[in-house]
Amino acid sequence: MSMTTRIRIQQQDFDLAEEYQLLRQSDSAVGAVVTFSGLVRDFELVSELGSELGSELGSELDRGVDRQDQSSIKSSIDLLSLQHYPGMTESLLEAIVEQANQRWNLIATTVIHRVGDLAPKDQIVLVGVASQHRADAFEAAQFLMDYLKTQATFWKSVRRNGEQQWIESKASDQQAAARWDGSDDE
Amino acid sequence: MINLLFFGRLGDFAKQVPATIEASTPAEIRQLLAADFPDLARELHQPQVLVSVNKMIVGWDQPLFDGGEVAFLPPVTGG
Repeated sequence: MSMTTRIRIQQQDFDLAEEYQLLRQSDSAVGAVVTFSGLVRDFELVSELGSELGSELGSELDRGVDRQDQSSIKSSIDLLSLQHYPGMTESLLEAIVEQANQRWNLIATTVIHRVGDLAPKDQIVLVGVASQHRADAFEAAQFLMDYLKTQATFWKSVRRNGEQQWIESKASDQQAAARWDGSDDE
Repeated sequence: MINLLFFGRLGDFAKQVPATIEASTPAEIRQLLAADFPDLARELHQPQVLVSVNKMIVGWDQPLFDGGEVAFLPPVTGG
């Protein structure tokens, strides 16, 4: 089955309903559509920030404080900024979608990632997958997000108190992507 | 000449770096930068930093050709 792929990197917002309709209408064989949208939180855990404070508190998090304590260790942000490597990002996303297409039976896939300055509650990313059966769509959507987060050339920074700080990559994202390694299928 | 690009936090260390350089491998670029930009060179030695040539991830010993584009990529944080 031929697969429809839409990959867009853009500053402007996207319309989830519109993208859902495109996936839904892509073929009469579509029996399942899964979409994921990622948003800007109004805070980032300080462990994700590349600051001295971040690594200090980050090691406290690693020692295993409970969830409630973790969410109280936060730092409010005014602005999130996304940089990418034009040309390379698009081809990496195409390669990731191609891998998903080889692993699962997919009918249509949409990946939209925003760049530039974003504010809390803004949409950052959309991954949508249409397939005949739900397992393919669910799994492929997770795979696409896991690989996008660890392989696609995007970099986030936040502005706090007028100062720009780059977000550090997370081991948990690497672990999430690694679960797809090894076996050909789940 | 080789065109240089630095992404993410590496850009903060590379503000004064010229846009082009003469070098035969990415490893040589890193070595040449160490003289004037020791902090940047130290960052480039971090094992998580990847290098691409003409938008393809390559090894540090990849041969470079005139007009090529070398980009230094810290761990990505999109999504």
